[in-house]
Amino acid sequence: MTQCDIAAMKATHPVFCTIVPPHVLDKLAQADDPALAGPARRTLEADAAQRTHRRLTTVLGAPPAAPPADAAGDKPHRTLYDAQHRQELPGVKVRGEGDEPGQDATVNRAYAGLGATFDLLLKAFGRRSVDGNGLPLVASVHYGENYGNAFWDGRQMVFGDGDEIFRDFTLPVDVIAHELAHGLTQYTANFTYFGQPGALNESVSDVFGSLVKQYVNDQTAEQADWLIGAGLLAERVTGVALRSMKAPGTAYDDDVLGKDPQPATMADYVRTGRDNGGVHINSGIPNRAFYLLATALGGKAWEGAGQIWYDTLTGGGLQVDASFTDFARATVAAAHARFGDGEEQEALLKAWSQVGVPTG
Amino acid sequence: MRIGVRRTGGFAGIERYAEVDTSGRPDASEWQALAEEAVAAGRGTPPIGVPDGFSYQITVDGKTVYCADPRLTEAQSKLISQVLTEGA
Repeated sequence: MTQCDIAAMKATHPVFCTIVPPHVLDKLAQADDPALAGPARRTLEADAAQRTHRRLTTVLGAPPAAPPADAAGDKPHRTLYDAQHRQELPGVKVRGEGDEPGQDATVNRAYAGLGATFDLLLKAFGRRSVDGNGLPLVASVHYGENYGNAFWDGRQMVFGDGDEIFRDFTLPVDVIAHELAHGLTQYTANFTYFGQPGALNESVSDVFGSLVKQYVNDQTAEQADWLIGAGLLAERVTGVALRSMKAPGTAYDDDVLGKDPQPATMADYVRTGRDNGGVHINSGIPNRAFYLLATALGGKAWEGAGQIWYDTLTGGGLQVDASFTDFARATVAAAHARFGDGEEQEALLKAWSQVGVPTG
Repeated sequence: MRIGVRRTGGFAGIERYAEVDTSGRPDASEWQALAEEAVAAGRGTPPIGVPDGFSYQITVDGKTVYCADPRLTEAQSKLISQVLTEGA
């Protein structure tokens, strides 16, 4: 008898063992029947958590890249590579810290974007790089051919030049900061990249992506556009950006791309096995909560709302598989610790209530 | 030979699917060789993904394998790119 059989005998609900192919689990997880969908989803979540944990253990267990001897601690240490349209990382080194800008605008944008993210973390939150210990920032540009994506591989950022739908992924500074913020999450709350914790991981990246853009443009919460990836869509696409934190679900509506699938409240939460359990979809809910808080408080978003989110992320009080509710409650505790029972507390409770996430 | 590629995830979280039917194509043997090489290096279950990375599901004549960025073999990368560009 395998451990799975024993688990199935003990469990109140049927347990799907790893013998069930993930794509079948995906299908089941989308089933209308909760008796089918529930266990499949739990299995998928556990499996993803395990895989992510293994990967992150590998990454975090590796000896940290040594900061340069002359690092003052309050200066970034950036290295840019050109992948030369291949898919091998990191590629050829094209710009190191302190080097003059070259001819390649993509390299220069990425270099500046990394610098802006480093700056916000240091000046607003007193954090030295994404790990709090001066971690060198590495990015590769011109990745792949006709490559419409950017990602964080656990160690560095990777940017494609775009395809027929998307333009160069280094164009919006919030996209650059979004990728780097995945590093921040990895070194702090380390939310599992699946389901609700995965959507929190995505949302944190959107929040810090947007904050970096607002910081660079010296904007208040009222002046900000609260869009993620504005300027990234090719001219032929009908839309303004990839996501809207202010009005999730309204960023694009296009013949080829379809309609922005993000929900703005828990009532419209999307249950799916795809996209790692909808991590880029349901992130709309905590995104909007952040927007509501930031605009209720007014002024520079990183000073009030951003500080509460940063304290929550780095506070150590959340499990890697935190739900939206766990996160919301942790923000309330963080706001209380930082600001007491003032307007922050009231605005925060109202924001979570408006998107339907309980805090009580 | 029917070759299907499903790409999920990515920064945008937008899914794409395309397939190519090689029967009757003059370059069918090249497609077949490429598809066999890509499938041989694939996995039976989705591999470890990275934040915002694309995940792929390659189906050749009913057999499905998985792979994910940034760890594709050259054959997988070429096949995925060709199917998503030329397929319908």
